[in-house]
Amino acid sequence: MCVGLSARVVSVKGGSAVIDASGARRTVSAELLDELEPGDYVMVHAGIAIAKITNSSEEESSQIMEQLDEDAKRDN
Amino acid sequence: MKTPKEIIESYSGRSMRIMEVCGTHTHEIFRCGIRKILPPQVELISGPGCPVCVTPPGYIDSAVELALKHNCMICTFGDLIRVPGSQLSLAGARSQGAKIKAVYTPLDAVEIAAANPQEEVVFLAVGFETTVPSACLAVKHAQMQNLRNFSILGSNKTMPNAYRALGKCADAFLYPGHVHTIIGSGICRELLADGISGVVAGFQADELLTALAVILHHAEAGDEPFFENCYRRIAKDTGNPAAVKLIEEFMTPCDAEWRGLGVIPGSGLKINKTYENFDARCKFNVPECSGTPHAGCRCGEILKGILKPQECPLFGKVCTPVNPVGACMVSHEGSCSAYYQYGR
Amino acid sequence: MEQQFVTLAHGAGGEQTNELINKVFKAHFANPQFTGDDAAVLEPWSGKIAFSTDGFIVSPWEFPGGNIGKLSICGTVNDLACMGAKPKYMTCAFVIEEGFPLDKLEEIAAAMEKTAAEAGVRIVAGDTKVAGKGQVDNVFITTTGIGEIIPGVRTSGTAARVGDAVIVTGDVGRHGCTILLARDEFGIEADVTSDCAPLWGTVEELFKVTKDIHVIRDATRGGVGTVLYEIAGQSHVGIKIDSKAVPVADGVRGVCGMLGLEPLYLACEGRLVIFAPKSEAEAIVAKLRQLPYSADAAIIGEVIEDPVGKVVVTTEIGAQTMLPPPGGELLPRIC
Repeated sequence: MCVGLSARVVSVKGGSAVIDASGARRTVSAELLDELEPGDYVMVHAGIAIAKITNSSEEESSQIMEQLDEDAKRDN
Repeated sequence: MKTPKEIIESYSGRSMRIMEVCGTHTHEIFRCGIRKILPPQVELISGPGCPVCVTPPGYIDSAVELALKHNCMICTFGDLIRVPGSQLSLAGARSQGAKIKAVYTPLDAVEIAAANPQEEVVFLAVGFETTVPSACLAVKHAQMQNLRNFSILGSNKTMPNAYRALGKCADAFLYPGHVHTIIGSGICRELLADGISGVVAGFQADELLTALAVILHHAEAGDEPFFENCYRRIAKDTGNPAAVKLIEEFMTPCDAEWRGLGVIPGSGLKINKTYENFDARCKFNVPECSGTPHAGCRCGEILKGILKPQECPLFGKVCTPVNPVGACMVSHEGSCSAYYQYGR
Repeated sequence: MEQQFVTLAHGAGGEQTNELINKVFKAHFANPQFTGDDAAVLEPWSGKIAFSTDGFIVSPWEFPGGNIGKLSICGTVNDLACMGAKPKYMTCAFVIEEGFPLDKLEEIAAAMEKTAAEAGVRIVAGDTKVAGKGQVDNVFITTTGIGEIIPGVRTSGTAARVGDAVIVTGDVGRHGCTILLARDEFGIEADVTSDCAPLWGTVEELFKVTKDIHVIRDATRGGVGTVLYEIAGQSHVGIKIDSKAVPVADGVRGVCGMLGLEPLYLACEGRLVIFAPKSEAEAIVAKLRQLPYSADAAIIGEVIEDPVGKVVVTTEIGAQTMLPPPGGELLPRIC
């Protein structure tokens, strides 16, 4: 029950935001996030922006992998 | 430095049963073929993650009753339309003239109610913590607009006690990233104290690979138990406080029946007394009923990882994605449907 | 001028029926063989005949990139083209809902005229029925066509061979996505237009490159994924595709992401799936890319021996998995 979509915020008005995901646009609820601004990236689920996205999956993955690498070196 | 895929492929540690408890995880794992690159001693079990799968037939019966007997317009996520009830699915009810509409968000159901004052609109609120805020917002919007023709039929479920109930079925959980985007990762640390391991994982192929690599890294190092959040870019440790507050305002914890698993105490949410005007069960006096699943259906054991889908006598014969018997076959993400469609 | 509507009297066979036929259909479909007699009389030709029929219902009846009239010509033209047949003659039968605006009916006929002219096909007979309000959704059209098969061409769904390349003539899922957006049930907007196009010209050029083409099938309802499963079944072969090679337009990808849909299973109305020997594939794609309706043509996979009747996908992580077989109603999903 978790189909989520990362999308760019195009505009914000009141409690709602227009988001764009690869050219598909929709108005979603922005009521659960503070200080949303155009250009932010958000995770959208069932028409609700549920989180701001702080970095890319590549960045996060490489951070995690570096950490594992350090752990492994320490253990050896 | 090794890539996640290399860590997984070169894993030589003890045998690991990893349970994914989110249907979207199951779907993506099958779609990108992650099982095909796992070493033989690593097994992925599809737990009860799909809320469609765990929705008991009695719930569908109630929705069908609202549609056919009370002439309500049923708005629902598309996933539920083909789920079998005791007699009829919503698709079956639709062919008998019921008004059944797939919506993208419950907020659209509120708009439909506002635009059609002559209709009684009922939204089918299923889903875990990820989806609960959307149902709460729908009730909030309906209340702000003073709509009297909108209500929800609730069957929302919560994960923490399900993790505890299933803790012994697996060596580690892939925690669903979006559930923890809402509730945070505090619960995972509590489970760690109870000896339950897991990592919070995102939904893209690379995120799933990274999460599995982290699990296998810990398993190889002999760490026991362990927890990591591999989805920090979205699932913050504190979750989404505004969403949690919203849920607390509109919903109260309750015991819930999981199709195939039975009743798990404190694993459901129901609408608060204050808002019972928006509760379709109160409004139309439709009491909860359990319904009757197909006698041969082994969904329960499949959800717990005790049986593989192929071991169910109905699998692929009586029960197929086109004519699903058990709910695990209904949703694209149900374990049976996924096994049927993707093989293995 | 006051807007005029189709009435039950237009379908009753009297003067008003004649008026409708003369004003709308004869005006647009004029050609020497369209006589208005009980049947068209045609000269035979020496080659083989391809013969096909198709019914069209689409809601809404007009959409970005076309309308039901254009669709009804493209559908039958493309079915004939897939058999290597030059479309020659067509018939069309209308079922029109009482109250449908006459000027809109004329728009449909004009689109049919334009599309037929492009495909070089003549509409030689027709029929009009008017159904009561609510009995049909605006307009239903059935078209039937015959075409002349190019000598030496033998395409068939059973003819895919191990080692064949699998080619699509453009990005997938556009028509299905366009209709979904046009129904406006999910509040989503995207710049997507239907790929609806008559493809005889494309096929004619293709056979100038080589006659050694095993299968051509147009991906309509059910999309490219359904065609792949059909051919795997009919030819008793396996098919392997590379997920990264399948062309998908950005807007389609976004809409599918929002609704949890698979672009390979969304309808197309102007896309062919072609199976041809690998040695010919590059030349075929190079030619296709010069043509107006196939600029994004791509090789997406190949025919393999096993697993028979199945479609295997190489995914973004390099693993091989099964493409889920087509099944049931396309429903947006949240989980």
